[in-house]
Amino acid sequence: MLETLGIHFPSLIIYLVNFVLLLGLLYLFAYKPILRIMDERADRIRDSLAAADQARAEAASSHEAIEEQLNEARREGQRLLDQAREAARRFRDEEMDRARQEAETFVSRARSDIQRERDAAIEEVRANFGDLAITAAERVLRRTLDRQAHQDLIAQVLEEGESLSRG
Amino acid sequence: MGSGAKRFTLLAIIFVFALFVAGLMTGAIGAVFYQSDEDKEAGLTAEGPFIPKPEVHLPAQTVFPKSEREYYLEFLEAEEKERELGEEALSDHERALVDDGPFRGNFTILITNTLLSSWLASLLLILLFVLGARKAKLVPGRLQTFVELAIEGLLKFVEGVVGRQRARMLFPVIATIFLFVMFNAWIGLLPIYPAIGFMTGDHIQIHLLRPAGTDMNMPLALALVSFVFVEYLGFRMLGIGYLTKFVRIGSLKRGVADLVRLRFLGAFQNLLDFFFVGPLEAFSELVRLISFTFRLFGNMTAGEILVLVSAFLVPFIATIGVYGLELLVGFIQALIFAGLTLVFAAIAMIPHDAEAH
Repeated sequence: MLETLGIHFPSLIIYLVNFVLLLGLLYLFAYKPILRIMDERADRIRDSLAAADQARAEAASSHEAIEEQLNEARREGQRLLDQAREAARRFRDEEMDRARQEAETFVSRARSDIQRERDAAIEEVRANFGDLAITAAERVLRRTLDRQAHQDLIAQVLEEGESLSRG
Repeated sequence: MGSGAKRFTLLAIIFVFALFVAGLMTGAIGAVFYQSDEDKEAGLTAEGPFIPKPEVHLPAQTVFPKSEREYYLEFLEAEEKERELGEEALSDHERALVDDGPFRGNFTILITNTLLSSWLASLLLILLFVLGARKAKLVPGRLQTFVELAIEGLLKFVEGVVGRQRARMLFPVIATIFLFVMFNAWIGLLPIYPAIGFMTGDHIQIHLLRPAGTDMNMPLALALVSFVFVEYLGFRMLGIGYLTKFVRIGSLKRGVADLVRLRFLGAFQNLLDFFFVGPLEAFSELVRLISFTFRLFGNMTAGEILVLVSAFLVPFIATIGVYGLELLVGFIQALIFAGLTLVFAAIAMIPHDAEAH
Protein backbone atom coordinates (compact mmCIF):
# COMPACT_ATOMS: atom_id res chain seq x y z
CA MET A 1 0.00 0.00 0.00
CA LEU A 2 2.75 2.42 0.98
CA GLU A 3 4.77 1.41 -2.05
CA THR A 4 1.84 1.98 -4.35
CA LEU A 5 1.81 5.54 -3.14
CA GLY A 6 5.52 5.63 -3.76
CA ILE A 7 6.74 5.79 -0.18
CA HIS A 8 10.21 4.34 -0.05
CA PHE A 9 12.12 4.39 3.18
CA PRO A 10 15.66 5.03 1.82
CA SER A 11 14.34 7.82 -0.41
CA LEU A 12 12.63 9.36 2.58
CA ILE A 13 15.89 9.32 4.50
CA ILE A 14 17.73 10.82 1.53
CA TYR A 15 15.15 13.62 1.28
CA LEU A 16 15.51 14.28 5.00
CA VAL A 17 19.29 14.39 4.78
CA ASN A 18 19.04 16.61 1.71
CA PHE A 19 16.78 19.03 3.48
CA VAL A 20 18.98 19.21 6.57
CA LEU A 21 22.04 19.74 4.36
CA LEU A 22 20.27 22.44 2.40
CA LEU A 23 19.17 24.09 5.64
CA GLY A 24 22.70 24.00 7.00
CA LEU A 25 24.27 25.34 3.82
CA LEU A 26 21.73 28.09 3.38
CA TYR A 27 21.99 29.01 7.06
CA LEU A 28 25.76 29.20 7.06
CA PHE A 29 26.34 30.75 3.67
CA ALA A 30 23.21 32.75 2.98
CA TYR A 31 20.94 33.55 5.91
CA LYS A 32 23.65 34.29 8.42
CA PRO A 33 25.80 36.65 6.31
CA ILE A 34 22.78 38.35 4.78
CA LEU A 35 21.03 38.86 8.09
CA ARG A 36 24.29 40.08 9.62
CA ILE A 37 24.83 42.56 6.82
CA MET A 38 21.20 43.68 7.01
CA ASP A 39 21.48 44.24 10.75
CA GLU A 40 24.73 46.06 10.22
CA ARG A 41 23.11 48.25 7.62
CA ALA A 42 20.15 48.95 9.87
CA ASP A 43 22.54 49.88 12.69
CA ARG A 44 24.55 52.03 10.35
CA ILE A 45 21.47 53.83 9.11
CA ARG A 46 20.19 54.32 12.64
CA ASP A 47 23.55 55.70 13.70
CA SER A 48 23.83 58.01 10.72
CA LEU A 49 20.31 59.28 11.28
CA ALA A 50 21.14 59.99 14.91
CA ALA A 51 24.39 61.63 13.86
CA ALA A 52 22.55 63.72 11.28
CA ASP A 53 20.04 64.79 13.90
CA GLN A 54 22.82 65.67 16.26
CA ALA A 55 24.67 67.57 13.56
CA ARG A 56 21.49 69.42 12.70
CA ALA A 57 20.95 70.31 16.34
CA GLU A 58 24.55 71.36 16.65
CA ALA A 59 24.32 73.45 13.52
CA ALA A 60 21.17 75.08 14.85
CA SER A 61 22.75 75.79 18.20
CA SER A 62 25.95 77.09 16.61
CA HIS A 63 23.85 79.22 14.31
CA GLU A 64 22.17 80.59 17.39
CA ALA A 65 25.53 81.19 19.01
CA ILE A 66 26.77 83.00 15.93
CA GLU A 67 23.62 85.06 15.86
CA GLU A 68 24.12 85.83 19.51
CA GLN A 69 27.72 86.82 18.89
CA LEU A 70 26.67 88.95 16.00
CA ASN A 71 24.07 90.67 18.08
CA GLU A 72 26.60 91.12 20.84
CA ALA A 73 29.05 92.62 18.36
CA ARG A 74 26.35 94.83 16.98
CA ARG A 75 25.46 96.00 20.44
CA GLU A 76 29.14 96.49 21.26
CA GLY A 77 29.63 98.49 18.09
CA GLN A 78 26.60 100.59 18.88
CA ARG A 79 27.92 101.13 22.36
CA LEU A 80 31.36 102.14 21.05
CA LEU A 81 29.75 104.44 18.56
CA ASP A 82 27.64 106.03 21.25
CA GLN A 83 30.68 106.33 23.43
CA ALA A 84 32.65 107.94 20.63
CA ARG A 85 29.79 110.27 19.85
CA GLU A 86 29.51 111.17 23.50
CA ALA A 87 33.24 111.71 23.76
CA ALA A 88 33.19 113.87 20.67
CA ARG A 89 30.35 115.89 22.05
CA ARG A 90 32.08 116.31 25.36
CA PHE A 91 35.32 117.23 23.63
CA ARG A 92 33.54 119.76 21.50
CA ASP A 93 31.81 121.23 24.50
CA GLU A 94 35.05 121.34 26.43
CA GLU A 95 36.84 122.92 23.52
CA MET A 96 34.11 125.43 23.07
CA ASP A 97 34.14 126.22 26.76
CA ARG A 98 37.83 126.61 26.73
CA ALA A 99 37.69 128.80 23.66
CA ARG A 100 35.02 130.87 25.22
CA GLN A 101 37.03 131.20 28.41
CA GLU A 102 40.12 132.07 26.47
CA ALA A 103 38.22 134.61 24.51
CA GLU A 104 36.83 135.98 27.69
CA THR A 105 40.25 136.19 29.33
CA PHE A 106 41.49 137.79 26.18
CA VAL A 107 38.71 140.31 26.18
CA SER A 108 39.01 141.04 29.89
CA ARG A 109 42.75 141.34 29.59
CA ALA A 110 42.28 143.63 26.66
CA ARG A 111 39.74 145.57 28.59
CA SER A 112 42.02 145.94 31.62
CA ASP A 113 44.85 146.88 29.30
CA ILE A 114 42.66 149.52 27.75
CA GLN A 115 41.59 150.70 31.16
CA ARG A 116 45.18 150.89 32.28
CA GLU A 117 46.19 152.73 29.13
CA ARG A 118 43.32 155.12 29.59
CA ASP A 119 44.16 155.65 33.23
CA ALA A 120 47.77 156.30 32.30
CA ALA A 121 46.63 158.61 29.55
CA ILE A 122 44.33 160.44 31.88
CA GLU A 123 47.09 160.67 34.49
CA GLU A 124 49.40 162.09 31.89
CA VAL A 125 46.76 164.40 30.63
CA ARG A 126 46.05 165.42 34.15
CA ALA A 127 49.74 166.10 34.81
CA ASN A 128 50.15 167.97 31.60
CA PHE A 129 46.84 169.70 32.03
CA GLY A 130 47.98 171.16 35.42
CA ASP A 131 51.05 172.66 33.88
CA LEU A 132 49.08 173.75 30.92
CA ALA A 133 46.46 175.35 33.06
CA ILE A 134 49.07 177.13 35.16
CA THR A 135 50.75 178.33 32.08
CA ALA A 136 47.45 179.40 30.68
CA ALA A 137 46.43 181.10 33.86
CA GLU A 138 49.78 182.82 34.12
CA ARG A 139 49.29 183.96 30.64
CA VAL A 140 45.81 185.15 31.31
CA LEU A 141 46.37 186.72 34.57
CA ARG A 142 49.86 187.79 34.02
CA ARG A 143 50.21 187.74 37.62
CA THR A 144 51.80 185.60 40.04
CA LEU A 145 49.95 183.99 42.69
CA ASP A 146 51.51 182.20 45.52
CA ARG A 147 52.21 178.70 44.80
CA GLN A 148 49.85 177.30 47.38
CA ALA A 149 46.94 179.23 46.04
CA HIS A 150 47.76 178.00 42.64
CA GLN A 151 47.83 174.44 43.59
CA ASP A 152 44.48 174.69 45.30
CA LEU A 153 43.01 176.39 42.36
CA ILE A 154 44.37 173.76 40.03
CA ALA A 155 43.05 170.97 42.16
CA GLN A 156 39.72 172.63 42.16
CA VAL A 157 39.78 172.99 38.42
CA LEU A 158 40.82 169.34 37.99
CA GLU A 159 38.15 168.24 40.31
CA GLU A 160 35.67 170.02 38.23
CA GLY A 161 37.26 168.72 35.05
CA GLU A 162 37.21 165.18 36.35
CA SER A 163 33.66 165.34 37.41
CA LEU A 164 32.95 166.81 34.06
CA SER A 165 34.72 164.04 32.20
CA ARG A 166 33.02 161.40 34.32
CA GLY A 167 29.69 162.96 34.12
CA MET B 1 -1.62 53.73 -29.28
CA GLY B 2 0.50 54.13 -32.41
CA SER B 3 -0.11 52.24 -35.59
CA GLY B 4 3.03 50.16 -34.84
CA ALA B 5 1.57 48.98 -31.57
CA LYS B 6 -1.73 48.26 -33.32
CA ARG B 7 0.00 46.19 -35.92
CA PHE B 8 1.92 44.34 -33.24
CA THR B 9 -1.27 43.54 -31.33
CA LEU B 10 -2.89 42.31 -34.50
CA LEU B 11 0.08 40.08 -35.30
CA ALA B 12 0.05 38.71 -31.77
CA ILE B 13 -3.63 37.87 -32.03
CA ILE B 14 -3.08 36.14 -35.36
CA PHE B 15 -0.14 34.24 -33.94
CA VAL B 16 -2.08 33.06 -30.90
CA PHE B 17 -5.00 32.09 -33.11
CA ALA B 18 -2.69 30.12 -35.42
CA LEU B 19 -1.25 28.35 -32.41
CA PHE B 20 -4.74 27.59 -31.24
CA VAL B 21 -5.66 26.05 -34.60
CA ALA B 22 -2.44 24.07 -34.68
CA GLY B 23 -3.10 22.92 -31.14
CA LEU B 24 -6.58 21.81 -32.00
CA MET B 25 -5.38 19.93 -35.06
CA THR B 26 -2.47 18.15 -33.43
CA GLY B 27 -4.02 17.60 -30.04
CA ALA B 28 -6.35 14.90 -28.81
CA ILE B 29 -9.42 17.05 -29.29
CA GLY B 30 -8.67 17.44 -32.99
CA ALA B 31 -7.75 13.78 -33.26
CA VAL B 32 -11.26 12.76 -32.31
CA PHE B 33 -12.46 14.02 -35.68
CA TYR B 34 -10.18 11.87 -37.79
CA GLN B 35 -10.09 8.83 -35.54
CA SER B 36 -11.00 5.67 -37.43
CA ASP B 37 -14.36 4.09 -36.63
CA GLU B 38 -12.73 0.86 -35.49
CA ASP B 39 -10.70 2.68 -32.90
CA LYS B 40 -13.78 4.52 -31.76
CA GLU B 41 -15.67 1.32 -31.31
CA ALA B 42 -12.76 -0.26 -29.49
CA GLY B 43 -13.05 2.64 -27.02
CA LEU B 44 -9.52 3.81 -27.58
CA THR B 45 -8.57 7.34 -26.67
CA ALA B 46 -7.87 9.54 -29.65
CA GLU B 47 -4.22 10.61 -29.75
CA GLY B 48 -2.63 13.46 -31.61
CA PRO B 49 0.33 12.75 -33.87
CA PHE B 50 2.96 14.20 -31.53
CA ILE B 51 1.89 13.78 -27.97
CA PRO B 52 0.88 10.35 -26.73
CA LYS B 53 -1.70 9.83 -24.05
CA PRO B 54 0.02 10.78 -20.80
CA GLU B 55 0.61 8.12 -18.23
CA VAL B 56 0.99 9.20 -14.67
CA HIS B 57 2.39 6.83 -12.11
CA LEU B 58 2.19 7.89 -8.52
CA PRO B 59 5.56 6.45 -7.44
CA ALA B 60 8.65 8.20 -8.64
CA GLN B 61 10.55 6.37 -11.34
CA THR B 62 13.95 4.92 -10.61
CA VAL B 63 16.57 6.38 -12.88
CA PHE B 64 19.81 5.10 -11.40
CA PRO B 65 21.31 2.59 -10.93
CA LYS B 66 20.60 0.99 -14.29
CA SER B 67 19.67 -2.44 -12.92
CA GLU B 68 16.99 -0.85 -10.76
CA ARG B 69 15.72 1.14 -13.71
CA GLU B 70 15.33 -2.04 -15.72
CA TYR B 71 13.61 -3.68 -12.81
CA TYR B 72 11.23 -0.75 -12.65
CA LEU B 73 10.47 -1.09 -16.36
CA GLU B 74 9.70 -4.76 -15.88
CA PHE B 75 7.42 -3.86 -13.01
CA LEU B 76 5.61 -1.31 -15.16
CA GLU B 77 5.02 -3.86 -17.91
CA ALA B 78 3.74 -6.42 -15.44
CA GLU B 79 1.45 -3.85 -13.89
CA GLU B 80 0.06 -2.85 -17.26
CA LYS B 81 -0.50 -6.43 -18.20
CA GLU B 82 -2.38 -7.01 -15.00
CA ARG B 83 -4.53 -3.97 -15.67
CA GLU B 84 -5.36 -5.04 -19.20
CA LEU B 85 -5.64 -8.79 -18.97
CA GLY B 86 -6.35 -9.45 -15.32
CA GLU B 87 -4.32 -11.17 -12.64
CA GLU B 88 -4.75 -14.66 -14.16
CA ALA B 89 -2.68 -13.83 -17.24
CA LEU B 90 0.44 -13.03 -15.22
CA SER B 91 3.33 -15.44 -14.99
CA ASP B 92 4.73 -16.20 -11.56
CA HIS B 93 7.64 -13.88 -12.16
CA GLU B 94 5.34 -11.06 -13.17
CA ARG B 95 3.06 -11.68 -10.20
CA ALA B 96 6.06 -11.52 -7.91
CA LEU B 97 7.02 -8.22 -9.54
CA VAL B 98 3.58 -6.72 -9.00
CA ASP B 99 3.52 -7.95 -5.43
CA ASP B 100 6.97 -6.56 -4.69
CA GLY B 101 6.00 -3.10 -5.87
CA PRO B 102 7.97 -0.51 -7.81
CA PHE B 103 10.95 -0.48 -5.53
CA ARG B 104 12.76 -3.72 -4.96
CA GLY B 105 13.41 -4.18 -1.31
CA ASN B 106 13.12 -1.45 1.26
CA PHE B 107 16.75 -0.69 1.86
CA THR B 108 18.34 -0.13 -1.52
CA ILE B 109 19.29 3.43 -2.26
CA LEU B 110 17.56 4.46 -5.47
CA ILE B 111 18.14 7.62 -7.44
CA THR B 112 14.66 8.49 -8.62
CA ASN B 113 13.83 11.19 -11.12
CA THR B 114 12.15 13.24 -8.40
CA LEU B 115 15.25 13.01 -6.26
CA LEU B 116 17.36 14.24 -9.17
CA SER B 117 14.97 17.11 -9.64
CA SER B 118 15.10 18.01 -5.95
CA TRP B 119 18.89 18.01 -6.16
CA LEU B 120 18.70 20.32 -9.12
CA ALA B 121 16.37 22.63 -7.22
CA SER B 122 18.60 22.55 -4.14
CA LEU B 123 21.65 23.25 -6.25
CA LEU B 124 19.96 26.22 -7.88
CA LEU B 125 18.86 27.53 -4.51
CA ILE B 126 22.32 27.20 -3.04
CA LEU B 127 23.93 28.77 -6.10
CA LEU B 128 21.54 31.69 -6.10
CA PHE B 129 21.65 32.38 -2.39
CA VAL B 130 25.27 31.61 -1.69
CA LEU B 131 26.41 33.66 -4.69
CA GLY B 132 24.09 36.45 -3.59
CA ALA B 133 25.37 36.35 -0.03
CA ARG B 134 29.01 35.84 -0.89
CA LYS B 135 31.06 38.84 0.15
CA ALA B 136 27.85 40.53 1.26
CA LYS B 137 28.39 44.24 1.27
CA LEU B 138 26.65 47.13 2.98
CA VAL B 139 25.92 48.56 -0.43
CA PRO B 140 24.46 45.52 -2.18
CA GLY B 141 24.86 44.44 -5.78
CA ARG B 142 21.93 43.24 -7.88
CA LEU B 143 22.03 39.60 -6.87
CA GLN B 144 22.53 40.50 -3.24
CA THR B 145 19.57 42.87 -3.39
CA PHE B 146 17.42 40.08 -4.77
CA VAL B 147 18.52 37.62 -2.11
CA GLU B 148 18.03 40.23 0.59
CA LEU B 149 14.57 40.95 -0.72
CA ALA B 150 13.63 37.28 -0.43
CA ILE B 151 15.18 36.84 2.99
CA GLU B 152 13.75 40.04 4.38
CA GLY B 153 10.30 39.21 3.06
CA LEU B 154 10.41 35.81 4.74
CA LEU B 155 11.79 37.30 7.94
CA LYS B 156 8.94 39.82 8.04
CA PHE B 157 6.53 36.95 7.48
CA VAL B 158 7.97 35.07 10.47
CA GLU B 159 8.14 38.21 12.59
CA GLY B 160 4.50 38.88 11.88
CA VAL B 161 3.53 35.61 13.56
CA VAL B 162 5.98 35.12 16.43
CA GLY B 163 7.39 38.59 17.03
CA ARG B 164 10.88 39.97 16.58
CA GLN B 165 12.69 38.09 19.34
CA ARG B 166 11.72 34.58 18.33
CA ALA B 167 11.75 35.24 14.59
CA ARG B 168 15.50 34.73 14.29
CA MET B 169 15.22 31.31 15.91
CA LEU B 170 12.43 30.06 13.64
CA PHE B 171 13.47 31.83 10.48
CA PRO B 172 16.03 29.39 8.96
CA VAL B 173 13.75 26.37 8.97
CA ILE B 174 10.66 28.25 7.82
CA ALA B 175 12.55 30.03 5.05
CA THR B 176 14.19 26.84 3.84
CA ILE B 177 10.87 25.00 3.75
CA PHE B 178 9.34 27.84 1.77
CA LEU B 179 12.19 28.12 -0.70
CA PHE B 180 12.57 24.38 -1.14
CA VAL B 181 8.89 23.80 -1.83
CA MET B 182 8.62 26.75 -4.18
CA PHE B 183 11.76 25.99 -6.14
CA ASN B 184 10.78 22.37 -6.50
CA ALA B 185 7.37 23.35 -7.80
CA TRP B 186 8.66 25.96 -10.22
CA ILE B 187 11.57 23.97 -11.53
CA GLY B 188 9.09 21.29 -12.60
CA LEU B 189 7.60 23.74 -15.07
CA LEU B 190 10.77 23.83 -17.14
CA PRO B 191 10.05 22.40 -20.58
CA ILE B 192 13.01 20.02 -20.33
CA TYR B 193 11.16 18.00 -17.72
CA PRO B 194 8.80 16.17 -20.04
CA ALA B 195 11.36 16.15 -22.85
CA ILE B 196 14.29 14.18 -21.44
CA GLY B 197 14.02 10.53 -20.53
CA PHE B 198 14.67 6.92 -21.34
CA MET B 199 12.81 5.71 -24.40
CA THR B 200 11.11 2.42 -24.84
CA GLY B 201 9.85 2.15 -28.39
CA ASP B 202 8.71 5.52 -29.59
CA HIS B 203 7.87 7.22 -26.34
CA ILE B 204 9.59 8.16 -23.12
CA GLN B 205 8.88 5.54 -20.51
CA ILE B 206 10.97 6.99 -17.69
CA HIS B 207 11.63 10.69 -17.45
CA LEU B 208 14.99 11.79 -16.22
CA LEU B 209 13.45 14.55 -14.14
CA ARG B 210 10.11 14.93 -12.44
CA PRO B 211 8.90 17.61 -9.99
CA ALA B 212 9.90 16.42 -6.52
CA GLY B 213 6.56 17.34 -5.00
CA THR B 214 4.93 14.52 -6.96
CA ASP B 215 6.99 12.01 -5.02
CA MET B 216 5.29 11.25 -1.72
CA ASN B 217 8.66 10.94 0.00
CA MET B 218 9.49 14.60 -0.41
CA PRO B 219 6.34 16.04 1.22
CA LEU B 220 6.56 13.34 3.87
CA ALA B 221 10.15 14.26 4.64
CA LEU B 222 9.20 17.92 4.89
CA ALA B 223 6.23 17.06 7.07
CA LEU B 224 8.54 15.11 9.37
CA VAL B 225 10.93 18.06 9.51
CA SER B 226 8.02 20.34 10.30
CA PHE B 227 6.71 17.94 12.98
CA VAL B 228 10.09 17.50 14.67
CA PHE B 229 10.71 21.24 14.50
CA VAL B 230 7.39 22.07 16.14
CA GLU B 231 7.77 19.51 18.92
CA TYR B 232 11.39 20.54 19.49
CA LEU B 233 10.38 24.18 19.88
CA GLY B 234 7.62 23.18 22.28
CA PHE B 235 10.06 21.29 24.49
CA ARG B 236 12.70 23.96 24.21
CA MET B 237 10.34 26.76 25.23
CA LEU B 238 8.29 24.95 27.86
CA GLY B 239 10.58 22.14 28.97
CA ILE B 240 9.02 18.90 30.05
CA GLY B 241 5.87 20.87 30.83
CA TYR B 242 5.10 20.81 27.13
CA LEU B 243 3.88 17.23 27.62
CA THR B 244 1.06 18.40 29.89
CA LYS B 245 -0.61 19.59 26.70
CA PHE B 246 -1.22 15.95 25.87
CA VAL B 247 -1.23 14.37 29.32
CA ARG B 248 -3.36 16.80 31.25
CA ILE B 249 -2.38 15.88 34.78
CA GLY B 250 -3.81 19.09 36.23
CA SER B 251 -7.24 18.22 34.85
CA LEU B 252 -7.00 14.69 36.25
CA LYS B 253 -6.17 16.01 39.73
CA ARG B 254 -8.97 18.53 39.64
CA GLY B 255 -11.35 15.89 38.32
CA VAL B 256 -10.55 13.45 41.13
CA ALA B 257 -10.83 16.23 43.70
CA ASP B 258 -14.23 17.18 42.29
CA LEU B 259 -15.30 13.56 42.36
CA VAL B 260 -14.35 13.26 46.04
CA ARG B 261 -16.34 16.38 46.81
CA LEU B 262 -19.23 14.96 44.77
CA ARG B 263 -19.20 17.81 42.26
CA PHE B 264 -20.05 15.69 39.29
CA LEU B 265 -20.26 18.35 36.60
CA GLY B 266 -16.79 19.65 37.37
CA ALA B 267 -15.47 16.12 37.63
CA PHE B 268 -16.97 15.25 34.26
CA GLN B 269 -15.46 18.32 32.58
CA ASN B 270 -12.00 17.73 34.00
CA LEU B 271 -11.93 14.01 33.36
CA LEU B 272 -13.16 14.63 29.83
CA ASP B 273 -10.30 17.08 29.42
CA PHE B 274 -7.82 14.46 30.63
CA PHE B 275 -9.15 11.42 28.83
CA PHE B 276 -10.38 12.99 25.62
CA VAL B 277 -8.95 16.45 24.87
CA GLY B 278 -5.37 15.51 25.75
CA PRO B 279 -5.24 12.48 23.46
CA LEU B 280 -7.06 14.48 20.81
CA GLU B 281 -4.30 17.08 20.92
CA ALA B 282 -1.68 14.38 20.54
CA PHE B 283 -3.62 12.83 17.71
CA SER B 284 -3.95 16.15 15.91
CA GLU B 285 -0.17 16.58 15.99
CA LEU B 286 0.16 13.27 14.18
CA VAL B 287 -2.62 14.02 11.75
CA ARG B 288 -0.75 17.13 10.69
CA LEU B 289 1.93 14.86 9.30
CA ILE B 290 -0.58 13.29 6.96
CA SER B 291 -2.32 16.51 6.03
CA PHE B 292 0.99 18.22 5.31
CA THR B 293 2.12 15.33 3.15
CA PHE B 294 -1.02 14.88 1.13
CA ARG B 295 -1.72 18.57 0.66
CA LEU B 296 1.61 19.19 -1.00
CA PHE B 297 1.70 15.85 -2.80
CA GLY B 298 -1.84 16.28 -4.08
CA ASN B 299 -1.30 19.80 -5.31
CA MET B 300 1.95 19.02 -7.04
CA THR B 301 0.65 15.84 -8.64
CA ALA B 302 -2.51 17.56 -9.75
CA GLY B 303 -0.39 20.30 -11.27
CA GLU B 304 1.73 17.79 -13.13
CA ILE B 305 -1.34 15.99 -14.44
CA LEU B 306 -2.95 19.27 -15.42
CA VAL B 307 0.09 20.29 -17.43
CA LEU B 308 0.29 16.90 -19.13
CA VAL B 309 -3.42 16.73 -19.89
CA SER B 310 -3.61 20.29 -21.16
CA ALA B 311 -0.65 19.60 -23.43
CA PHE B 312 -2.28 16.41 -24.60
CA LEU B 313 -5.68 17.92 -25.35
CA VAL B 314 -4.71 21.20 -26.95
CA PRO B 315 -0.94 21.48 -27.32
CA PHE B 316 0.81 24.88 -27.47
CA ILE B 317 -2.07 26.93 -26.19
CA ALA B 318 -3.87 25.40 -23.22
CA THR B 319 -0.64 24.90 -21.34
CA ILE B 320 0.01 28.65 -21.16
CA GLY B 321 -2.84 29.29 -18.76
CA VAL B 322 -2.00 26.17 -16.78
CA TYR B 323 1.58 27.35 -16.39
CA GLY B 324 0.42 30.65 -14.94
CA LEU B 325 -1.79 28.76 -12.57
CA GLU B 326 1.01 26.40 -11.59
CA LEU B 327 3.36 29.28 -10.81
CA LEU B 328 0.74 30.59 -8.43
CA VAL B 329 0.09 27.15 -6.94
CA GLY B 330 3.80 26.61 -6.34
CA PHE B 331 4.05 29.89 -4.48
CA ILE B 332 0.89 29.32 -2.50
CA GLN B 333 1.77 25.76 -1.50
CA ALA B 334 5.17 26.94 -0.33
CA LEU B 335 3.50 29.70 1.66
CA ILE B 336 1.00 27.28 3.16
CA PHE B 337 3.61 24.69 4.12
CA ALA B 338 5.92 27.27 5.66
CA GLY B 339 3.05 29.28 7.17
CA LEU B 340 1.38 26.29 8.81
CA THR B 341 4.68 25.12 10.25
CA LEU B 342 5.20 28.61 11.57
CA VAL B 343 1.76 28.82 13.12
CA PHE B 344 2.00 25.36 14.67
CA ALA B 345 5.39 26.28 16.09
CA ALA B 346 3.95 29.51 17.48
CA ILE B 347 1.11 27.55 19.11
CA ALA B 348 3.51 24.96 20.54
CA MET B 349 5.56 27.70 22.19
CA ILE B 350 2.59 29.11 24.13
CA PRO B 351 2.19 27.71 27.64
CA HIS B 352 -1.23 26.05 27.71
CA ASP B 353 -1.72 25.84 31.47
CA ALA B 354 -2.85 29.45 31.37
CA GLU B 355 -5.60 28.71 28.89
CA ALA B 356 -6.81 25.67 30.84
CA HIS B 357 -8.43 27.57 33.69
